[in-house]
Amino acid sequence: MTMRLAVRDVSVRFQGLQALRGVGFELRQGELTALIGPNGAGKSTLINVISGELRPTAGAVLLDDREISGLPAHAISRIGVARTFQGLELFGSLSARDNVVAGSVQRAGLGFWRNLVRPPRGAATRRLEAAAQDALDLVGLGHRADDPAHILPAGEQRLLAIARVLATDGRWLILDEPGAGLNDVEKRALARVIRELRRRGWTILFVDHDMALVGDLAERLLVLDRGELIADGTADRVRAEPRVVSAYLGVKPRRSSMRAAAPIRPPALLEAQGLSIGYGGVQALDRVSMRVGAGELVAVIGANGAGKSTLLKALTGVVVPAAGTIHLDRAVLAGVRTAERVRRGLSLVPEGRELFGSLTVQENLMVGAYSRVPRWARSLPLGGLAATSDIARALERPYGLFPRLAERRHQLAGSLSGGEGQMLAIGRALMNQPLLLMLDEPSLGLAPQVIEEILDALLTLRRDGLALLLVEQNARTALEIADYAYVLETGRLVAEGRGAQLLEAGAIAEAYFGFDRRTDPAAAAGHLPQPAHDLQS
Amino acid sequence: MSLWRLLPFALVLAVVPLLDSSYLTSVAIIIALHALPALGLSLVMGFAGQISLGHAAFYGLGAYGSALLALRLGLSPWLATPAAIAVTGLVAYGLGWSIFRLRGHHLALGTLGLGIVASIGFVELRGVTGGSIGLSAIPSYPLPGLDLAADQSFFFLAWIVAALAFLAAGNLVDSPAGLAIRGLGDSERGAASLGIGVARLKCRIFALSAMLAALGGALYAHYIGFISPQPFGVGFSIKLLVMVAIGGFRSIGGVLAGVAFATLVTEPLQDLGYYDVVVFGALLVVITIFCPAGLLQAVRDGARRGIRLLAPRAG
Repeated sequence: MTMRLAVRDVSVRFQGLQALRGVGFELRQGELTALIGPNGAGKSTLINVISGELRPTAGAVLLDDREISGLPAHAISRIGVARTFQGLELFGSLSARDNVVAGSVQRAGLGFWRNLVRPPRGAATRRLEAAAQDALDLVGLGHRADDPAHILPAGEQRLLAIARVLATDGRWLILDEPGAGLNDVEKRALARVIRELRRRGWTILFVDHDMALVGDLAERLLVLDRGELIADGTADRVRAEPRVVSAYLGVKPRRSSMRAAAPIRPPALLEAQGLSIGYGGVQALDRVSMRVGAGELVAVIGANGAGKSTLLKALTGVVVPAAGTIHLDRAVLAGVRTAERVRRGLSLVPEGRELFGSLTVQENLMVGAYSRVPRWARSLPLGGLAATSDIARALERPYGLFPRLAERRHQLAGSLSGGEGQMLAIGRALMNQPLLLMLDEPSLGLAPQVIEEILDALLTLRRDGLALLLVEQNARTALEIADYAYVLETGRLVAEGRGAQLLEAGAIAEAYFGFDRRTDPAAAAGHLPQPAHDLQS
Repeated sequence: MSLWRLLPFALVLAVVPLLDSSYLTSVAIIIALHALPALGLSLVMGFAGQISLGHAAFYGLGAYGSALLALRLGLSPWLATPAAIAVTGLVAYGLGWSIFRLRGHHLALGTLGLGIVASIGFVELRGVTGGSIGLSAIPSYPLPGLDLAADQSFFFLAWIVAALAFLAAGNLVDSPAGLAIRGLGDSERGAASLGIGVARLKCRIFALSAMLAALGGALYAHYIGFISPQPFGVGFSIKLLVMVAIGGFRSIGGVLAGVAFATLVTEPLQDLGYYDVVVFGALLVVITIFCPAGLLQAVRDGARRGIRLLAPRAG
């Protein structure tokens, strides 16, 4: 009987990025532990190391005294450490029951070649199907057994992933964001299931952003931030830990005095009214109205899954809202294709930057000017094009804003550091000479000094009269530089106001950091915002 | 339970001899022989979600292997065929370990390369394969009282063997182990997280698939009596792909329908020579764009829609 799962001094380096740094802890049998931490903290990397999808650069994972790091994923699953995925990785074409049966195939030891000559509907199959039915009943999906996995709503798919991993007979369960995308009712069902599994003797480590769920379920919390384990203990102890608080909410803002708030908001450049969007039963946006005035820096903040990305998709025309209107510069955007919206001056700096890695810095910038180059000139040699006065002038803006880009103009974008890549992504969007520059999570995964540099650049752009829409999980960072901000929570607008006001009100921090069960639905959010990195470090 | 899968085979075995047409009989034999490699390809592509654009190579290995064992070593074709199948299976299993390191487009290119290497090998290894002239005087399967070189009797052998192969493949994909195979096709990460040894499973499926192709090839060699490299080229790999696509990749029954359709439609195109590949290519493009679930499924859906349109009037 295995008693301990030990993670010893595990470090993981991806090219240039230290994803985990000397992480160590032990899980004892029967524990129910939560792993939390802001986006990019290394939670997924840690799970991938334990489950064998990733080999640690240093350190080891031990089950009792046997080293399991280095074994392939399927071997670790066979030993009894089984996981689910944030992206679920269900077998969409199979029924719910068959998904669970597939989970038990390995331990049933049915072999391969034998099945060619064995009637497929024999006793062995029926036994596995009966066990699968039990697992489905346990998670409350018994009535869904015959439905194909891909038609199940998001919440039921999460539960199915748990039922499937139970079938492996593993006694150590690692659940990666089992509550992501679930509504309150589904979350309660999930909490019930996890508690029941705990009662039946499974040892569980789960990742979640929902602090209410985490505080409610977990006996012990592990907190990761930027690759380091910064806290380990009960919910109360962890909540009191200053490092945890600053990892999530950042330290006292420094810039709030920098901007004297204008008494009246300027006329709207971009205005969205009553936007509603649903994906497969989940209401991603629910009657959201917001606007960006000329020359304003507006922030949209909210936790994972709040609907920020969906809002941007609606603005850029990637998804068509079920209801609501969007105006840019007083023109209705309904039915206008994405490319045309870009041409009209709506530029997006996408999350994750999406650079063209095999092109140089300058070539990336030139691609950004695509919609500004006349059709006939698009097949001209780049070198010649760059020398034309229009393009040369346009290039001055990103190079002026980020001198480091000018130094590296002939370097391949794929070889840039994270911060330089973000600068290039912003520079590329500027080449479109936008009316409105939208940025999706520009601080994600960046070091504090670099974030500072990026924020300074945004303030410079605003001073030059450009309107900006900043979408951030990083609440304090966004609020302290924003003229006006909107707070999204599970698709609904729950607060709006001047950045500084929202920041001082303190209600946001409270709502975002509540470990306790939500009592007041309007104020309680239950999600953690992403880290506002220490701007003074 | 899955015996209904044998229904079309039983029908063909019962009806075709009654019609007493030598043309139909020979077409039916071709369908059975092509159905074996197509079935193998369907297991790899449809169920396990991998790509192989070089399956003609295994068809050729089966044909050349069995013919050479019979000709050079004087083995009875009854022994030469299983031996050639076993060798092909081992070769495929070994190749699988290296080629399934590749994914997506790279796997497509890798298997395509494999097919090209094999087809060039059949031509250039003159000392063994007889070069572009090929091998002739390959003995047919001896059976007392029956001449298995004759279409009328070989027809039964081909269709009974095909029926058994389809039955076995159906057993596999319907078994719990088959769920692992289909799961692998949907999500490799998911499969590995359940303890399923993904790499080994892919190799096994690839080997099984190659063995089915080799079986078809060996039967072909001993039926026709002579072989040349031409039928085992990349063109045939593409044909197999079209057949499986028509049947709708993930359907054992669909494979037979796809092979039958492709053979019946293109049999009249024999006069075009190499150009029949053009027709296959066009078919492939049309099917991929308009009926991704296979021609059969598209026809079924169309019929259902038609019935729904007519039903209110009837009621």
